[in-house]
Amino acid sequence: MATNSIKLLTGNSHPELARLVAERLGIELTKILVLQYSNQETSITIGESVRDEDVFILQSTAPGEINDGLMELLIMINACKTASARRITAVIPNFPYARQDKKDKSRAPISAKLIANMLQVAGCNHVITMDLHASQIQGFFNVPVDKLYAEPSMLRYIRENFDWKNAVIVSPDAGGAKRATAIADRLDLYFALIHKERSRPNEVSRMVLVGDVKDKIAILVDDMADTCGTLAKAADTLKAHGAKEVVAIVTHGILSGKAIEAINGSQLSRVVVTNTVPHAEKKAMCPKLHTIDIAPTLAEACRRTHNGESVSFLFSHAPT
Amino acid sequence: MRRVKIFSGTSHPLLTESICERLGTNPSKAELKKFSNGETSVNIGCSVREQDVFIVQSGSETVNDSIMELLIMISACKGGSANKITAVMPYFPYSKQSKKKSHRGAITARMIANLLTIAGVNHVITVDLHASQMQGFFSKPVDNLYAEPLIARWVKNNVQNWKEAVVVSKNPGGTKRVTSLADALKLNFALITTDRRRANYDALSSKFHSRRHSPAESVHGDEDPNPDTFVNRQDGDIPTFVDGQSIDATGVASLAYTGSSIGPPSIELSPEPPIAIGDLSISAEVPPPASTTSTEYNYHLPPHPEDDFDDEYTDDNAREVTYGRLVQGHIVDDDYPSVPASVKDEEEEAPCHMVNSINSITSSNDHALGGTVDVNETDDEEEPGVASLTQEKMITLVGHVRDRTVLLVDDMIDRPGSWIAAAEHCVKRAGANRVYCIATHGVFGGDCLEEMEACSYIDYIIVTNSFPIPVNKINCSRKLRILDISALLSEAIRRNHHGESISALFQHFD
Repeated sequence: MATNSIKLLTGNSHPELARLVAERLGIELTKILVLQYSNQETSITIGESVRDEDVFILQSTAPGEINDGLMELLIMINACKTASARRITAVIPNFPYARQDKKDKSRAPISAKLIANMLQVAGCNHVITMDLHASQIQGFFNVPVDKLYAEPSMLRYIRENFDWKNAVIVSPDAGGAKRATAIADRLDLYFALIHKERSRPNEVSRMVLVGDVKDKIAILVDDMADTCGTLAKAADTLKAHGAKEVVAIVTHGILSGKAIEAINGSQLSRVVVTNTVPHAEKKAMCPKLHTIDIAPTLAEACRRTHNGESVSFLFSHAPT
Repeated sequence: MRRVKIFSGTSHPLLTESICERLGTNPSKAELKKFSNGETSVNIGCSVREQDVFIVQSGSETVNDSIMELLIMISACKGGSANKITAVMPYFPYSKQSKKKSHRGAITARMIANLLTIAGVNHVITVDLHASQMQGFFSKPVDNLYAEPLIARWVKNNVQNWKEAVVVSKNPGGTKRVTSLADALKLNFALITTDRRRANYDALSSKFHSRRHSPAESVHGDEDPNPDTFVNRQDGDIPTFVDGQSIDATGVASLAYTGSSIGPPSIELSPEPPIAIGDLSISAEVPPPASTTSTEYNYHLPPHPEDDFDDEYTDDNAREVTYGRLVQGHIVDDDYPSVPASVKDEEEEAPCHMVNSINSITSSNDHALGGTVDVNETDDEEEPGVASLTQEKMITLVGHVRDRTVLLVDDMIDRPGSWIAAAEHCVKRAGANRVYCIATHGVFGGDCLEEMEACSYIDYIIVTNSFPIPVNKINCSRKLRILDISALLSEAIRRNHHGESISALFQHFD
């Protein structure tokens, strides 16, 4: 009997987050067998009937295995589609290839658009994601995309953990200024901006600070911390301008390459990331790393989507 | 060639180079790398505006990365206003997952086809698709080339006494592919089949004898030849054969199938419908005489279904049947101790293909995770499964190979198990001289090549370079011979660009 209830599936990329979301929803994860053949092809067996059910597939992207995680997601979506699921929602907290979203050079691929097309071809009916690198990616899809914000959770974390009245919100680059000003507005704080002159991806050159951070706690806000070169350099710049303490709050802690060394060796006193990307191992190596749990937001978004309720409440409030 | 750009993915640059060499051009520049977070980055290094673009990408050890790279390259070329984009995929990844094998299984090959289309490909060139029906997955034209002429030529030039060789298919699913090679070389043909259902063939035939003396008793024991046919009987929540009469009636039906193979292989042959627990009164009314006569009729028929070939084939070779017992992937003697009872029980619990549909209708409990993996094991494919190692199977060779060279043929070598078992059976039981393992795609997952190298019954392994084989593996192997497929691909590219027919590429060399 189809109950048209929520079926939550997950691949190998972030079982921990899926478990947390399932716990919040008060359901069991659907049994699924994901394995790789000896020729490295991914194979999926879904262990329960999904006929006429509302299927949510949670798949994050673990650094280093992005393409495997993506194929896993696509094959899971396709398997559910051929198994007559009523609706398939891909929950992708950290949208892969989000930074390749424009034709910035001659013949550069718009890979984010490609990913959007691939998800739809596989059979996805709805996408839930969080803090997209550029909101325009929503327009790459022909199916509804719910873009959640980690901002409410971040605000709560700032209020609870810092002497926030004596802080300044800093954006490490011009592109993130909008995100940083939004937080500064909500907290009624001052705002500063670091302008960087970038020559190649993942490399940082000269930095210029705009705004006053003297004797204040500088809170760097960004959507993504990858190699952390930018954050480390920004921290140096802020300290050089007299900041009392420098902390960073980032939605997606991808932390690839030499990120951990960069954080440990930097002037940052704390780096706060959400658990959209698995980072348990890195946390053990880096005492400065702290986590905000965003599973409640994702779970609530799933529940509201399933029940046909409005999701906009989550844009300004973090469920506890 | 003018207005053509040939790009190489990272999976098989050597093949691209030799294709380009044959076309008298160089691979076009493209910067392919990975960001530190693992995302693939593509930078097309030359203008492709209004050009005819070919992108060569095979599978690799990291097949998902190869696919993403190909998709992004196609997307980049499309964004760069290329006139036409052709994906040259000598080995088509995920081609084995081309049908819905289990409940809720994905048809991944179709999805890959859709992904290529959505990325912007206009044409696909590939070699020896696992199933040629896969061409229908694409909404764009597909050229499925054949490596067979190349292989046939190699056999003629390199196999001693090849006119006396026998082409053998190691599974019934690949028979069509194999007979075509046999026809091209005008050689005899044999077939190997591995069967779990008829594991105890000698026990089966002895039961047939015993039934002559006591028909009534034998009919009750009829579930033995087909241990899987009525597995449902053990479950409580499904139509159950509690009454002796009903077992009689349906049991005869299954015997008729095993013995004569006249009717379609379905248990719907049953003269009486399966009778549920609640209908004991009806079951008592079943008339027994009919079943007795049909049982006796079947005694005159030989116990193996291969003999129904008699009507169609008069070739004596086809009549020769060699059995063997296969335990843990190797041929054992007839007096080898049987599989322990505990393992055998599991084997009998496993549903076979025939009753699978009944199972899915009747059983309310969901055993898909345990059950479907086992059911997956179709005739033409090996699925990874622990059960298949412990079970005893029966391996049957139909055809004559004694003192001849055996050419074992399939489309790809991925896992070694079936190749080793087939080679062992041909040499040990059927008396073949030498065994050549021939396939188009040498995927060699895991320790496949090493295991085949170590198997003393295999003399040569012949594959094409459609799939990149690591150099250290090639150097370690004495038996491996690699045929160059670049001539075929480069000719297909040239003809496609000039708008010529590619039918000539399907012809055999003289």
